[in-house]
Amino acid sequence: MSKENNRIIQEANKQFLEQVTRRHFFQECVTGLGAMALGSVLGGCNWLGSKDGSNSMLNTNPLMAHAPHFAGKAKSVIYIHMAGAPSQLELFDYKPELAKLDGQDCPQSLLEGKKFAFIRGVPKMMGPFATFKQRGQCGAWISDHLPHLATVADELSFLKAVQTDQFNHGPAQLLMHTGTPRLGRPSIGSWVTYGLGSENNNLPGFVVLTSGGKNPDAGKSVWGNGFLPSVYQGVQCRSEGDPVLFIKDPEGMSRDLRKASIDAINEANRATYEDFKDPEIVSRIAQYEMAYRMQIEVPEVMNINNEPAYIHEMYGTKPGEACFANNVLLARKLVEKGVRFVQLFDWGWDSHGTEENLAIDYGFVNKCRATDKPVTALLLDLKQRGLLDETLIVWGGEFGRTPMAENRDGKKNPFKGRDHHTEAFTIWMAGGGIKKGYSFGETDEIGYSAISGKVTSFDIQATILNQLGFDHEKLVYPFQGRSFRLTDVHGRVINEIVA
Amino acid sequence: MHYQKIPKAGLILSALVLLSFTVSCFFSGHRVDYNSEIKPIFNKNCISCHGGVKRQSGFSLLFRSEAMAKNKSGKPAIISGDPDNSELIKRLTLKDPEERMPYKHAPLSEKEITTLKTWIKQGAVWGEHWAYTSVVETPIPNNKRGPFGIFGNPSWINNDIDQFIYQKIKAAGMSPSDEADKAMLLRRVSLDLTGMPASEKINDAFLNSKDKNAYEHLVDTLIASPHFGERWAAMWMDLARYADTKGYERDDSRSIWRYRDWLIQAFNEDKPYDRFLIEQLAGDLLPNPTDAQYIATAFHRNTMTNDEGGTDNEEFRTAAVIDRVNATWEGLMGTSFACVQCHSHPYDPFRHDEYYQFMAFFNNTRDEDTYDDYPLLREFHDNDSLKFIAFKDWVKKNAPEREKELIQFVRTQQPAINSIAADQLVNSALMDTKWLVFRNKAVARLKDVDLTNKTELMYRYISWKPGGEWQIHLDNPNGTIIGSVKVDETKNRWKINNIPLIPTTGVHHLFFTFNNPKIKTQEETGMQFDWFNFTNPFPGKGLPDYDIALKNFNELLEPSFVTVTPIMMDNPKELFRPTQVFERGNWLVKGKKVEPNTPASLGGLPANAPKNRLGMAMWLTDKKNPLVSRTIVNRIWEQFFGVGIAETLEDMGTQGIAPTHRELLDWLAFQLMNEYHWDLKKLMKEIVMSATYRQDSKWNKEAIEKDPYNKLYARGPRVRLSAEQVRDQALVLSGLMSEKMYGPGVMPFQPEGIWNSPWNGSYWKLSDSTDQYRRAVYTYWKRSAPYPSMISFDETSREVCTARRIRTNTPLQALTTLNDSVFLEAAQHFAWRIKLVVASDKSKQIEKGYEIALHQPISDAKKKAFEKLYDTALVQFKADRKKLIATTGPDKLKQQPETAALIIVAEAMMNTDEFITKN
Repeated sequence: MSKENNRIIQEANKQFLEQVTRRHFFQECVTGLGAMALGSVLGGCNWLGSKDGSNSMLNTNPLMAHAPHFAGKAKSVIYIHMAGAPSQLELFDYKPELAKLDGQDCPQSLLEGKKFAFIRGVPKMMGPFATFKQRGQCGAWISDHLPHLATVADELSFLKAVQTDQFNHGPAQLLMHTGTPRLGRPSIGSWVTYGLGSENNNLPGFVVLTSGGKNPDAGKSVWGNGFLPSVYQGVQCRSEGDPVLFIKDPEGMSRDLRKASIDAINEANRATYEDFKDPEIVSRIAQYEMAYRMQIEVPEVMNINNEPAYIHEMYGTKPGEACFANNVLLARKLVEKGVRFVQLFDWGWDSHGTEENLAIDYGFVNKCRATDKPVTALLLDLKQRGLLDETLIVWGGEFGRTPMAENRDGKKNPFKGRDHHTEAFTIWMAGGGIKKGYSFGETDEIGYSAISGKVTSFDIQATILNQLGFDHEKLVYPFQGRSFRLTDVHGRVINEIVA
Repeated sequence: MHYQKIPKAGLILSALVLLSFTVSCFFSGHRVDYNSEIKPIFNKNCISCHGGVKRQSGFSLLFRSEAMAKNKSGKPAIISGDPDNSELIKRLTLKDPEERMPYKHAPLSEKEITTLKTWIKQGAVWGEHWAYTSVVETPIPNNKRGPFGIFGNPSWINNDIDQFIYQKIKAAGMSPSDEADKAMLLRRVSLDLTGMPASEKINDAFLNSKDKNAYEHLVDTLIASPHFGERWAAMWMDLARYADTKGYERDDSRSIWRYRDWLIQAFNEDKPYDRFLIEQLAGDLLPNPTDAQYIATAFHRNTMTNDEGGTDNEEFRTAAVIDRVNATWEGLMGTSFACVQCHSHPYDPFRHDEYYQFMAFFNNTRDEDTYDDYPLLREFHDNDSLKFIAFKDWVKKNAPEREKELIQFVRTQQPAINSIAADQLVNSALMDTKWLVFRNKAVARLKDVDLTNKTELMYRYISWKPGGEWQIHLDNPNGTIIGSVKVDETKNRWKINNIPLIPTTGVHHLFFTFNNPKIKTQEETGMQFDWFNFTNPFPGKGLPDYDIALKNFNELLEPSFVTVTPIMMDNPKELFRPTQVFERGNWLVKGKKVEPNTPASLGGLPANAPKNRLGMAMWLTDKKNPLVSRTIVNRIWEQFFGVGIAETLEDMGTQGIAPTHRELLDWLAFQLMNEYHWDLKKLMKEIVMSATYRQDSKWNKEAIEKDPYNKLYARGPRVRLSAEQVRDQALVLSGLMSEKMYGPGVMPFQPEGIWNSPWNGSYWKLSDSTDQYRRAVYTYWKRSAPYPSMISFDETSREVCTARRIRTNTPLQALTTLNDSVFLEAAQHFAWRIKLVVASDKSKQIEKGYEIALHQPISDAKKKAFEKLYDTALVQFKADRKKLIATTGPDKLKQQPETAALIIVAEAMMNTDEFITKN
C-alpha cells in the first residue's frame, strides 16, 4: 500500500510547496488556517521562529523530529515524579540539629505569617527518622532508606533549596509541570514534544506511566496539552491491560485481517483523495498506516518479558504487574526507542502520619524500598548502554515536608508524619549534561528555610529545556494574542549544575 | 462547471492596479489609517516596552492620552502635526545604537517611518480597533453579471451572504463552486444542524423530492428537530466548561446536568440570544426568577471546586470568580481579558483596574468553594412536590410577609452562613477545610452576625455522641449566653435543627462553646457543622393547618430525594464583599477598592441598568456592545465552515487573526440584533441557505493554487467530524442510538482503569442497556479523566472555558475507531442493518452500506477495495470459528462467516475518511 500512498503524499507536498512560496504560510500556521488543513498533514510550521523553517515542512507527521534552538546535551528526559511529595529530611537534607530539637514546640518565629495545609496551632519539631551517611567521592548525604541510590551518589546533582508557593498537591503539581497552579496550560512534556517532535514515528513523543494505584492529584492535566494541539499531549501507557488505549485488535481480528482492513480503508481514502484533492485525506492515510505500525511497536516496547534475567534482577521488575519498577524499566526502553519525554508518576508519598501507610516511619520507608532499586538500576543501565549522557533524569516531588510533626486540626496525628512544606525541598537531576556528584543550594540548620542557591519550578523547567537545546524564553506558542511559554515570565537556567 | 475564468492578462493587470494604488498611498492625499497601518507597527516594534505591561521611560503607546502625555524626559514623544519635532520620529532615525529605537532591534524601514510621519502630520489620530466599535449597518455589495455588469446578480447568488462572498471570490479572479449534489448536502446539513445523520424518513423525503424547495424544507425539519438542541448545547458546553465533576484533585461528582438540559431546551425553543445570555449570567436577579432561570445561572457554577484537604477555600473561591470573568470575556466577547489580571492589556484598550471593576460584578455571589457547592436549587419529586405546593399555598395565605423568605429557604437553604466562616478555634477545627468540628471544650467564633430581629438559629450538623452541650455566647467566650442546646447523636447523618435565641440587636461576634463529658480523648470529635441560618420561628402558630405546614417545611428541608443544581445567588447585604485590585494579579496583595463597572473603552452600563450582574448582562446584550453579536456570529459560522470569519474565536482583538470578511461579519452581527432579533435559528438558516454553504467541497485546480485554505469560500466546507459527531454517527448508522433525552450523565462502555482520582472511591459504572447508547452530549464528563475516545477526537477536558477546539489528525484517533468496543459494536449492528435489506450478495451489501451513510452509490474503486477485504475476511472466518464467534457475538443465528466478513467491512467503511469527515 505504501508505494501508492507515497505518490499521493509527494503530490500533496508538491502542491504545498507551491503554496508556501506564494502564501507566507509561516505567519499563519499553528493558529492560522494551516492548523486546520495542511498543518496537520505537513507537520506544523515555523514553530520555533527559526530562520530556516522550510526544511521542517515536508512531512506527513506533526510529530516529526525537529532541531532545537541549539545543540542540547540531552536527547530525552525521564522525569520521575514522586506524587504526594517525599520527605527531603529523611532522604537527602541531613539535619542533625533538627534531631536535637525533636519533640520541642516549634518556635513562634517559624509559624508567624505562615500557612500550612494541615498544621494548626503550635506543632512539635520532629527529628529525622533515618540514618545518614556521606556517600561516594562527592560525599553527598544520603540516608539508609536509599542504600542502592547511595552507591551512585557520584552521578547525581542535588538541588537542595527548591521552593514553591503552592502547598496543596494539585496546584503544586500543576505548577511543577505546567508553569501555573491553575489549569489550562501545556505540560512540560507537551512543550518538549511540540519543540522536538518524536524520533520514532511509531511511538508517541511523550509517554506517561503511573504507579501507586492512583493518578497524580492534578489528574491528567499534568500531562495535558493545554492550548497546544492535542497531538502533543502525553499518551498514558499502562503496564496492565492495553499498553495504549485501543491499541489491541479486537479478538476476532487477526493481524493479517487488520492489515487487509487498513489496506481497504486507505484504498478507499485514496479514491476519495483523487475525487476531493483535500490534503487532509493524505494525512488520514498516513495516520492509519502509523496506527498499524504502532500496534506492532507499542506492545513490543511495552513488553518487558523478553528482557534478560539480570535486567529484571537489577530493576526488581515483576512482569505483568502494574508497579513502579516496571515503569522505570519501560522508561529506559522508551527513550532507547526515541521517545523524547517519559513522565513517571508514583503515587503514595504523602506522609502525613494520618494512617500507617502514610507514616514517615512505615509507609514512607516502604515507598523508598520499592523505588530505590529501580531508580538506581535506571542510572546504571542507561550508563552501561551509553545513554546516560543523553538522557536527563529528574527526580522529585511537588513540594517538601515540614521539619515539624503534623498536628492535623490542632491535635497529634496517630502516626509520625510531616505536613506539606513549600520553603525548601530537594530535587535531583542526573545525566543529560548535568554535573556529576554535585550539590547546589543549602537550607538552614533545621531544614526549614532555604538560605542559598534557591531555585523554583521555573528554574527547573528552564534547565530541563536548556539541556534539550531550548532557550526557555524562546520556546513559545502564540495563543490569545500573546506568546506563551512554559516558564511564563520567570525562570533561570541553573547553570551551577550544568556540566 | 465554473463561472468565469479570468485570463492571465487580467491578473497581471489587477496586480499593476494594486501596485500603483499602494504607491500612491504615500505620495498623495491618502489618509493614514491607524488600525491597518500604524497599530501593526506599534504592536510589532514598540509596544512590548511601551505598552500595557512595561512603560519604559514612562512612555506608552496603548492609549492616545498616554502617548501624547509628557514622559520622563518632560516632553511628549508625539507632537501632533509636527513629525520632525516629535521625539518618536527622531528616536527611530538616530545613529547611536543606545539611543535609536527599537532598542537592540532592527530599525524600522523607510516606508514604516514615512507612514508614521504622515500619520503624525495628519494629527496622530488614534483609531479604534474594528472589534471594539459598535456594529453598524453594512451595505450589501451588489454583484452584477454579464459583460460590463449590465445584468442583475449572478445566478450563483442565493442570498445576501453570497453577495459578500462572491465579491471577494471575483476580486481574486476565481469562481465559486457549483452546488453540492443532494447526497452531500443532505449529510452535511444534517450533521451541521443536528450533529448526526437524519432519520431514514427525512432522508428519503428529501432525496425523492422533486420540489425545488426541498432543501429548504429539509432545513426547516432539521432546525425543528429536538436533536438540534442537543447538538448546539454540546458546542456551548465547551464555553460553559460543563462537567459532571468538580475538578482538581478529588474531582468528585457534581449534580449540574439540569443546566445541560436547560441548554438543550433553550436551543430547541430558540430562546433569543440576548435572553439566553441574560438568564445564564443573571437569571437569579430577574424579578421572580423561575426555576429555569435559576438553573440557567449554573453556567458560571461550572467553575471548579477544590475539595483537596487543606486547601484554602477563599483562594479557590477567588479562582472561580476570576474564571467567571475570563470565561465571560473569552467565550461571550471573544476577548482575552485574562492578561489584564496582572497588568494593563499589552495591546488592547483595557486597564488593569478595569479587570477588577468587572470582577466586582461577580464577586458578590454566595458560593464559597464549599464541599456541597452551595448555593443549590433544590427540586422536589413525587410526594415532596405535592408537599411543596401545599406549603407554598399555606404560606401565601397565612404568612404573606414571610412568603418570599420561606419559599427561598425551602428551595435553596439560603441565606446561610457556611461553617467554614468560623475562626478563633480552640479544641475545634475546620475539618479538611470543609466543616467546622468541635472536640470537647471547644471554642469557635462566628464574626459579625447581625442579630437584629432574629430570634432563632437553624443549623445543619452531625453529632457523634450523646451528652454534648452547645452554647452561644455574645461577644466573647464567656459572654452572655443567647442560645444553648443539649446535643444528641445523629447516627452519622446530617440533620437540620433549630433553637431559640434571646432577642438581641446589632451586629455581634458570636462565640460557640461545646462540652461533652462523654468524650474521653482529646482527639475525638463531638460535633460537626455545615451551615448556620439566623432567622425567626416558623410563623402562624395557631392558624389553621399550622402543624401540617410546619411538618411540610421540616420535611422539605430534609427530603429523602432531591435534585440539586448549583446556582448563582448574591450575598445578602450583611455579607457584602468589597472588591479590591490584586496587585500584579496576586490575590493576597490587595490594592485599591473598586466598584462594579465595564471597561471605559467599550462604553458604560446602559442607562437603566443596575450596577450588578444583571446590569452587566444588560450591557453585554445591549446593541451598543461591539463584541457579543460579532462573537456569536463568528462562532456559529465556524461551526458550519470549520473556521471562523475571524479565525481566532477566542480573540478578536488587535492580536487576533484579522477576519477574512469583516463586512460580512459585521453585516451578520447587525442582522442578528436588528433583523433576527437575536434569533439564532434564523441566523443559522440564513447561513445554510446561502450558495456559499451549499457549494461542492471538492478542490478544483484553481482552489489548490489560489486558495488552499478556502479563505475565500470558493468551495464548500470539508471538516472532520467533532468528537460528539463521531460517536453519534456510529450510533445512528448502527441503529443503536437511544432517542432518550435529558437526565443525569450516562456511562457508556470505557476501558478499565481510566478513573483513578486520589481520595475518591467513585468508579465508572456501565449504564444499563439503553443508557449505554445515548448521544455523546449525555456522557458523564469527569474532568480529571474524561471519556477517552472523545478526548482523542479533540474534545476538551472542560476545566476552563475553551473558545475553540483545535482539530488534529492522529493515529490515536484511528486506533479508537478501529478498536474501541463501542465502535465495534456499532459495526456489528451496522452490518446487521445492511443484512436486513440485502440478505446475501456481498457487492450489493457494500453498495447498501455506503448508501445508508453517504446517500449515494459507491464508486467502483471503493467497492473493489471492500470486496477484497470481504473475501479475505471470509477466508479467515471460514477457517477460524473462534475468531468468527468473537466477531459476531454469542447469538447463534448470526454466527455465519459471511456475517462476520460483513462486520469487518462495515467497520472498515466506518473508518474511511468520507465517514469521519463532513464532506
